[in-house]
Amino acid sequence: MAEQAETSLCRVVVVGGGFSGLTAAVDAAETGAEVVIVEKNPYLGGRVAQLNKYFPKMCPPMCGLEINFRRIKTNPLVTYHVASEIESISGKEGDFTVSIVKKPTFVNDNCVSCNACVDVCPVERANDFNFGLDKTKAIYLPFNQAMPFKYVIDTAVCKGASCAKCVEACKYNAIDLNMKPEKITIKANSVVLATGWNPYDATKMDNLSFGKVKNVITNMMMERLSSVNGPTAGQIKRPSDGKVVNNIAFVQCAGSRDENHLEFCSYICCMASLKQAQYIREQNPDSKVTIYYIDIRTPGKYEQFYWKVKEDANIQFIKGKVAKIEQASGDDVEVEAEDMASLKKIKTTHDMVVLATGMQPSGATLKVQGFKYTDEGFGIEDKGLYVAGCSKNPMDVSKSAQDATGAAMNALTSGQRR
Amino acid sequence: MDKKLALYICSGCGIGEAVNIEKISNIAKNAQRIPVVKSHFALCAQEGVDLIKADMANEGVNTIIIAACSNRVKTDVFNFPGCIVERVAVRELALWLLEAPEDIQLAAEDYIKMGIIKAQKSELPEPYIMETVKNILVIGGGITGMTAALKCADMGYNVVLVEKEAQLGGFVNKLYKQIPTTLPYKEPLIVDTDIQSMIKTVESHPKIKVYKSSKVEKTEGQPGAFDVTITTNGSSEVVKIGTIVLAAGWKPYDATKLEHLGYGQFKDVVTSIEFEEIAKKNNGKIIRPSDGKPAKKVAFIQCAGSRDPNHLPYCSAMCCATSLKQARYVRQDDSACAMIFYKDIRTPGRTEYYYKEAQNDAGVMLTKADVTGISDAGNGNLYVEAENTLLGEKIKVEADLVVLAVGVVPATADDPIINLQYRQGLGLPDLDLYNGFADSNFICFQYETRRTGIYAAGCVRQPMNMSEAVEDATGAALKAIQCAEHVAKGQAVHPRAWDLTYPDPFMQKCTACKRCTEECPFGAIDEDEKGTPYFKPNRCRRCATCMGACPERIISFKDYHVDMIGTMLKNVSVPSEDDNPRLIVLVCENDAYPALDSAAFAKIKIDRAVRFVQLRCLGSTNLVWIADALSRGVDGMLLLGCKYGENYQCHFAKGSELANYRLGKVQETLGRLQLEAERVQMVQLAIDEYNQVPKIISDFVERVKEIGPNPFKGF
Amino acid sequence: MSEQQRTEEIVKPDLEFVKDVIASGGGDLKKCYQCSTCTVVCGMTPDDKPFPRKEMLYAQWGMKEKLISNPDIWLCHQCSDCTAYCPRGAKPGEVLGAVRKMAIQHYSPPSFLAKMVNDPKYLLVLLAIPTIIFLFLLHIQGYLFGEIPRNEFGKISFSKMLYPTFYIDPVFISAALFAVVSFVMGIKKYWADMAKNYPLPPGSDTTTSLVETIKEIISHNNFKKCNVTKERSTAHMLVFFSFIGLGITTTWAVFYLYILGRPSPYPLYDPMKIVGNISAIGLLIGITLVTNNRLKNALKAGKGGYYDWLFIVVIYVIAVTGILAQLTRLADIAPLAYTIYFIHLVFVFFLFAYAPFSKMAHMVYRTTAMVFARQAKRQ
Repeated sequence: MAEQAETSLCRVVVVGGGFSGLTAAVDAAETGAEVVIVEKNPYLGGRVAQLNKYFPKMCPPMCGLEINFRRIKTNPLVTYHVASEIESISGKEGDFTVSIVKKPTFVNDNCVSCNACVDVCPVERANDFNFGLDKTKAIYLPFNQAMPFKYVIDTAVCKGASCAKCVEACKYNAIDLNMKPEKITIKANSVVLATGWNPYDATKMDNLSFGKVKNVITNMMMERLSSVNGPTAGQIKRPSDGKVVNNIAFVQCAGSRDENHLEFCSYICCMASLKQAQYIREQNPDSKVTIYYIDIRTPGKYEQFYWKVKEDANIQFIKGKVAKIEQASGDDVEVEAEDMASLKKIKTTHDMVVLATGMQPSGATLKVQGFKYTDEGFGIEDKGLYVAGCSKNPMDVSKSAQDATGAAMNALTSGQRR
Repeated sequence: MDKKLALYICSGCGIGEAVNIEKISNIAKNAQRIPVVKSHFALCAQEGVDLIKADMANEGVNTIIIAACSNRVKTDVFNFPGCIVERVAVRELALWLLEAPEDIQLAAEDYIKMGIIKAQKSELPEPYIMETVKNILVIGGGITGMTAALKCADMGYNVVLVEKEAQLGGFVNKLYKQIPTTLPYKEPLIVDTDIQSMIKTVESHPKIKVYKSSKVEKTEGQPGAFDVTITTNGSSEVVKIGTIVLAAGWKPYDATKLEHLGYGQFKDVVTSIEFEEIAKKNNGKIIRPSDGKPAKKVAFIQCAGSRDPNHLPYCSAMCCATSLKQARYVRQDDSACAMIFYKDIRTPGRTEYYYKEAQNDAGVMLTKADVTGISDAGNGNLYVEAENTLLGEKIKVEADLVVLAVGVVPATADDPIINLQYRQGLGLPDLDLYNGFADSNFICFQYETRRTGIYAAGCVRQPMNMSEAVEDATGAALKAIQCAEHVAKGQAVHPRAWDLTYPDPFMQKCTACKRCTEECPFGAIDEDEKGTPYFKPNRCRRCATCMGACPERIISFKDYHVDMIGTMLKNVSVPSEDDNPRLIVLVCENDAYPALDSAAFAKIKIDRAVRFVQLRCLGSTNLVWIADALSRGVDGMLLLGCKYGENYQCHFAKGSELANYRLGKVQETLGRLQLEAERVQMVQLAIDEYNQVPKIISDFVERVKEIGPNPFKGF
Repeated sequence: MSEQQRTEEIVKPDLEFVKDVIASGGGDLKKCYQCSTCTVVCGMTPDDKPFPRKEMLYAQWGMKEKLISNPDIWLCHQCSDCTAYCPRGAKPGEVLGAVRKMAIQHYSPPSFLAKMVNDPKYLLVLLAIPTIIFLFLLHIQGYLFGEIPRNEFGKISFSKMLYPTFYIDPVFISAALFAVVSFVMGIKKYWADMAKNYPLPPGSDTTTSLVETIKEIISHNNFKKCNVTKERSTAHMLVFFSFIGLGITTTWAVFYLYILGRPSPYPLYDPMKIVGNISAIGLLIGITLVTNNRLKNALKAGKGGYYDWLFIVVIYVIAVTGILAQLTRLADIAPLAYTIYFIHLVFVFFLFAYAPFSKMAHMVYRTTAMVFARQAKRQ
């Protein structure tokens, strides 16, 4: 086999450092490609870093992320740029020129994560990692297991040179308030788009009253409320008054399978709600869960996950979509649906209601120059331009991992075709 | 390699204020004879790194102990290729987790001492290189197998494709039409398959050798050097293979078991596969079997066998879309109608578009229903009897043809297919965990089976549709190439893909007790005729479970061995006071250790009694360590490892479970020392459960205190 | 669940009925995937056995009997809240509209006329009938090609053209009688079918229900619950009360003619004239609002079909020709005034004679269904 491929000459740019991007990157690198990851956030891990557990195993996402981070740390073929975005992609398969802009985080690599800066910072900001459920200082660590383990400054709120208390407090010269954007240009054989997804804006469904009725939250907020490193240290308490949640309802297809919002099925929400039902059931043995659905979609082996949840007598499934939500007394929430089994229009009251909001591909709001997109914002593949994970189709973590490995394969083929 | 050691102690992050660095430096220099010992305010800063580099250049330092922060941070900074680098997490384990200054000092001393021992006993790895090939065997010539074969071949790898049927194409051959797989996924609703052109490409590809009507009789050897015996019509051939893609596909669930749905009892009850054949044979016309009349009222029964505790406990994922497609076959006759009885319509993702379009037809009718049976309507037609429908609680609907949407059964359900000549068995392990599918236990690492170099794809792995199968095959192809490349370089694969070490047994002392061959989670160790273990390093994932299993302590890695950890444990300080116990905690480096780091970062304080030691995997725990430590007066040992059981989280599948299993026998070891078995415990800790660390530790400390001090204390 | 649903029921899908619903304006019917958003957002439905989700399913399966004999299809006021929120664009409001049309066709005899009213092919035929009748009446007076005489004051007089007692009233009375007979027959059958499927509670009283229903119709209270197309109730109310005003005007005119012996024309200041003219203007404004709402909400609620628009256009023509006939008469433009009046008569005939088959029939069937529903405790 003397004519074996010399894959080490291949260079791949992976846009997005979430689970798909990381997988595509390490799999390509472990097959001999040089890989550059470009991540918009100041940390790697993307959406899954915000999750408490994965279905169906109920295992923590950090477990797999940690392995992938280690694969990156130990592989000299992988480099990554966080807080960076693609400015342009030009050229053709085998010969792309990718231009990257690295936004200033005002903290350099000297940062040792000693937290001295946070102690002196006078400014607070809503913590976007926790969907605004708590606050951080203007200088902050994105989350406690962030990679890179480095603080960043939110320029939108930082008072800059007029304050500079953090600069004084840092013994390691890690804070540079004069940091400028940096432009990096690299050549690549192929580009993998793995920009993931955003939770669909729940305020757009006026009848579901998110943002109008207290204690209506999204499923992603529920993940943060259940996470040990979340705003409530993992105790599921409702936002309005911190009351321990005893009686909760899940509203499936909140925006998904709906031509007025997301026309496709978001794939994950059924399993996600089944999983979240278990969060609450495990924390609180007396708790009651009601899941309102159109179809329970637990394909393949996820069926058994469904069965397991169904066995719990305190979890009730009602076929019928919730189409109206109103505030009840004492910050409770009233939902309205048709219980199709009994042919009755019903109203039930809950401590908190979780909208199983769907995934909107990030391409719907932010497009990477050089890629083509569908109307929904999913990336379209082209020669040398591949798409992986939720920027390609709605999918769960395991499918993303599988899909990203495939994307890595295709990306390597581009090196071959030159 | 002549090692020259150097210890660098960082005084940054508050270490300098909390720890007497001078004292530690003196211990290292005098007691442990480290020639170079230096301290710096911020070792991770450029100046600090330059200091180390200068010593490497000027003093020939090649073994570096960095006493600063956890090895999970600043990895890129403390990266000195060609050197042995040992990191000691003084900041996290001493400074952040402990409170009292004297405790911090003592812990720092212990950790640095252990770090030095580890560096002293570590060697640079030399990879295990054997003659390998990079040929890829693809088992199964359906759409999955052909895709994998083409992907590998296009990358320049030679491919051997084995198909059990006389022709390639698998199930797609049987289809009349297929669902569109390209945007916008809805128009036209039924399209021709292009499997024939794909078959042609595969068969004419210069890098693909196709074996039809063939089976894999046996697979011997190891990745990079498999000897695969392929049988074709009675004659056999042995082929050298690097790695394997298992794409053996699926078969429909045996409909004869679906008597309650009238199969076998009524001629006009057919499976979805038979229905497809009817459509194909008559070019779209739906002729019913009993009397050859065109079917006008066709009922589709979803989940026939699937989602059923008496049959298949999973959802077969493809049947909903298939029935919607077949409903459109029926509707090619405008006077016919198709009625679909479903439990839930499952068209996830953008398949939803297909649902929407396919149902948007006057003659396609759907209802949720629990179909209870099929009965004779008396007029040559059948009644579908159903309950809990949207149309009524209990209904009967007349149909002239009933189609059972039968589920997917993986080829591996009752046939090992790969026929591995491994001590641990012919097939992939754990198949029963996944209902016979050759699936992965890992959400994050979908292709990882417990047989290195063998990657499953398509419906043998999970029920999936055609486009998903194509994607799956593409990924599996990459994994096969990746593994072939790694074993050629003597490098491990996932999850320690960077690792160049390998298990190197000192066979002269082997007693052939077979513990290693039994316990290896990856079946990497066979036995020869005499029962002597025979290591196949390319199958190995480097978890060191064998090292932990071996009572003779003869299995070692260059940078990880029984003596190394044993010596470290023996050198942990043991306070002489009775009320001040010393406990050693063995920590899995993959999950439990990062949890400790998080606890430290959150400045969660823990009991001063403990010292942590990182292990590759808890499976590598050798019971001799426990004896070593406890005989030196250590009061107790705690093992912190991954969750095990059905949903195990251990990256090496069985490591933590085996560690726990071994602890079951610790009484034997401790009995000899007349110590209580309760002094050794294992606790499962997931990576995100860092908030539980203090309680786990304090509970254990309490328990050990109750047992009382170790009588060996002070010896 | 009712008694009949607990026992085994034989479902007979009727493909032709499904096709009819689709052709009658329920074109998106088959997109429904039974989520029941429609039922939840509907302000009209009772909580027990609510609509329109189940009706969508019956329609998808072609279960004709379950649909057309169902009072619920008339409880729907086609607010289109359901249609606006429908995640699949199945337009339940439009589908129920189509089903109602089919119910009208089903119940109002003779059925051939019902088919004709619903089919643009027969529009000219239907218009031809009154046209020929009135032309014939003009002809026998010799006015068809001759001059129509003026009244004693030298003014244009429509009662000179066709004297009500001899020409107009017999025609309209027969047309009205025909409509009433058709309605009565239809309602009887409908009531019987409803009572078969939804047994009335013993001792329930139709008169009380009727009184309550009329109160409800006058107040439009239910209609006001509409969300997406809020303005529709206002428009409908305007049209509705204008019709009542015109009805009063007509009765008043009968009183003038037959009791007081005063033929038209009447002076503009006559209270009857005032009521009539206000009603006519109200009708014009009302129907314009209806049209505007339809166009405005077309995207969310569907734009309606021939059946809806025919009804709107007929009312439009009646209102416009009525007003214009009076204006041209006052302006003394004889040929134009007579022509317009002629058209007016033709369309009024159209409205009355074909009422049991056109959308006008909703007035009767909806009222019947509402009375029934009230009596059956559906509201």
